[in-house]
Amino acid sequence: MTRWTRWFLPGLAVLTLVLAVYPAWATGYGVRVMLQLFMWIALAQSWNLISGLTGYVSFGHVAFFGMGSYTTAILVGKGIPWPAAALAGGAMAVVLAFVIGWPCLRLKGPYFAIAMLGLNEVLRVAASYFEGLTGGGLGLSLPTLDASVRIYYAMGFVAIAVTALTYAIVTSRFGLRLMTIREDEVAAEAMGIDTFRYKIYAFLLSAAAPGVVGGLAARDMGYIEPVSVFPLVTTITMIVMVLFGGKGTIWGPVLGAVILFTFQELVWAHFPHAHQVLLGAIIVAVVLVMPRGILGVLQQKYNLPRTV
Amino acid sequence: MPPILQVRNLVKRFGGVTAVNGVSLSLEAGKIYGLIGPNGSGKTTLFNCITGIEHRDSGAVAFKGRRIDGLKPHQVFHRGIGRTFQIIRVFPELTALENLLVVTSGDYARARARAEDLLRLVKLERLAGEFAGNLSYGQQKLVEFIRVLMTDPEMILLDEPAAGVNRTLLNELLDAVRALRDRGKTIFLVEHDMKVVMGLCETVFVLDHGEKLAEGPPGVIQADERVIEAYFGR
Amino acid sequence: MITITPVMLGQVIVSGLLAGALYAMVALGLGLIFGVMRVLNVAHGPLLMLGAYVTYWLFSTVGLNPYLSLLVSMPVVFLLGVALQHFLVRRVVDAPELSSLLLTFGISIALVNFAQLAFTSDLRSVEFITGSFLIGPFAFSKARVIACLFAAGITALAFLFLQRTRLGKAIRAVSQSREVAQVCGINVQRIHMLAFGMASALAAAGGTLVAVMVAIQPEMGAVYTFKSFLVIVLGGAGNYPGALLGGLLLGLVEQLASLFLTTQVNEAVAYVLLVIVLLLRPTGLLGGRST
Repeated sequence: MTRWTRWFLPGLAVLTLVLAVYPAWATGYGVRVMLQLFMWIALAQSWNLISGLTGYVSFGHVAFFGMGSYTTAILVGKGIPWPAAALAGGAMAVVLAFVIGWPCLRLKGPYFAIAMLGLNEVLRVAASYFEGLTGGGLGLSLPTLDASVRIYYAMGFVAIAVTALTYAIVTSRFGLRLMTIREDEVAAEAMGIDTFRYKIYAFLLSAAAPGVVGGLAARDMGYIEPVSVFPLVTTITMIVMVLFGGKGTIWGPVLGAVILFTFQELVWAHFPHAHQVLLGAIIVAVVLVMPRGILGVLQQKYNLPRTV
Repeated sequence: MPPILQVRNLVKRFGGVTAVNGVSLSLEAGKIYGLIGPNGSGKTTLFNCITGIEHRDSGAVAFKGRRIDGLKPHQVFHRGIGRTFQIIRVFPELTALENLLVVTSGDYARARARAEDLLRLVKLERLAGEFAGNLSYGQQKLVEFIRVLMTDPEMILLDEPAAGVNRTLLNELLDAVRALRDRGKTIFLVEHDMKVVMGLCETVFVLDHGEKLAEGPPGVIQADERVIEAYFGR
Repeated sequence: MITITPVMLGQVIVSGLLAGALYAMVALGLGLIFGVMRVLNVAHGPLLMLGAYVTYWLFSTVGLNPYLSLLVSMPVVFLLGVALQHFLVRRVVDAPELSSLLLTFGISIALVNFAQLAFTSDLRSVEFITGSFLIGPFAFSKARVIACLFAAGITALAFLFLQRTRLGKAIRAVSQSREVAQVCGINVQRIHMLAFGMASALAAAGGTLVAVMVAIQPEMGAVYTFKSFLVIVLGGAGNYPGALLGGLLLGLVEQLASLFLTTQVNEAVAYVLLVIVLLLRPTGLLGGRST
């Protein structure tokens, strides 16, 4: 066990260093690829916060990504610098999470999942409806700006921040309480845990990062439209990454993000629908064979601590 | 001394079935009470209504003079009522220690110390770091029992504490229950094992088909013909 | 604010009931799976979509009357449903609900994208019946009326099956209590497969009937999954007759809402209705089992 920890942290430090200087010698394409990987890590970790820890499956999580995208695009269009606009995107995503979570988290787990299923559609409709603000189906363009490198660092920072947040939560009593919701909500309530309040906290926390990276992604792409920022496949990918890597763990989403992202870059570009069929198949396979994901399996086999 | 728990005309229906039909009880502090009755007589439903897991259809429940019906389970817990369940409900992916810690907030060091004390009380201190799901049935039962004691509730509801438990463990549990009573706690238990009920409880309530059939000291209840009829039929 | 005449109201109410019959039939399927297995089948919509594509394919290749294709789409998708249950869903019936949700979610993604591969996302249509029946001041789309008739008929048959036949009673028994049914000698796994197959057939029937009316594309099923959930919630989980009433109610509410709201916002009506109902009466309007 100590063999692991002895080279894990230094290894992590070296990796961070390498990634920090990566833009200096990489191509523009390389930077954008890595930037997207950071984005997916942030998204997967966030989904893990609500669905992995509390067991409340959020099928509509891309809504927060889209909310951040639109908020940022609109603000940048009004002249606000993109870093502030992205943070505002995160804030708006949290507001949206509160508006949705307040009624929906009172519902028991499966009903909450159903409610979240419809959320995607509602938001897409809303984006088309409020045309004046969002440009409707035509979408929004942002003033051209080549900020790839700066966005690379911003995304990387968010990915690190969310991972650190997950670590802090999992090792605290707050995190334990979130997990009791997943384990046995009735018993948790009977033991004095106000499950509704904790679910709301987790949900709000899980919306912040997608909002911010949604904003950063909007800045990076330079153009957004309803279909590009509220695609179901984003939620699906988040889910697969976390399930595959190990839900409820700290590094599982990171592992899942790295593996699935690589897979995505290789397959999706060429075979988008075959790719999604495979995603569906992976979900089925993981649920049947490896419900705790790779890290979960390793955790059980080698009796690793929860902070893996 | 005013009663610590008062249930007045509690009614709970599930669709067409009336599980609890106008039950009234009064419990005094510092005693051990038993709730018995044939299967399906509404005992666990009554517990669930008291602790807020089910919403009663009519009637009132008052704890220490204040109404608690309509409160959510976690609020009932914080008023001072703890309970265990018929089917053990520990948190399987949390360790035994974490199962206890999760119940309290506030000072971590003090909570941890108390948790370790309780684990020592039931001789499970070496299993503190073990996932609760990996413990044996009897060990889980003990963990569930001491979990309830973490916040030192004034009243404890035990739902079939003797179920599936071997003699030695059972005696330890019963001793622990008596010790709690001696410290002024009120214990209310549902139980099928008549020896346990008769040996432990000071007053016994009998439910049949959702109604209170009888109440009194164990000796009287045992001899009550209506009770015998309810259990064994005519 | 437009003035609403009695004719408009009458038109809308009947239209609502026509649509509601279809919703009820499809939702009954979802309700069966939930009632018997406690599984929320997210793949229900995609099964409907497959039924629609079967009809389209038969219509465009051999010109088969879409209503006759019910005789093909229902059995084919029935078998698919049985296979899905036997090989996949069976393993998560006793697992936490999260697992069956995710599993059926994965299946739905695979099915939708498989359809994308097989048929592309081009919109297809089955031009078979157009025009409306004119009755006095009212005009009802012919396709709608016929769909409603078929839906009502199929639903009635389904109910007869559940109430009168031995297998149907076995299904209801397993819905009430699996343990008791087992003790009575019922092969629960077979009942599970039957229920899932039957539910899939009902979804496929919905798809066939709808194929004549709307554009067919791989993602068409999602909205029916959602609305079926809504109907189940309205009528009460596990309450089969409740699904009927829930379906009619949904149809009515949607049509009434269309009087006051633009078509875009209409899609959100079902969603808002769901959240409201779940908050007020988690066990459904008519009462049933909560999860």
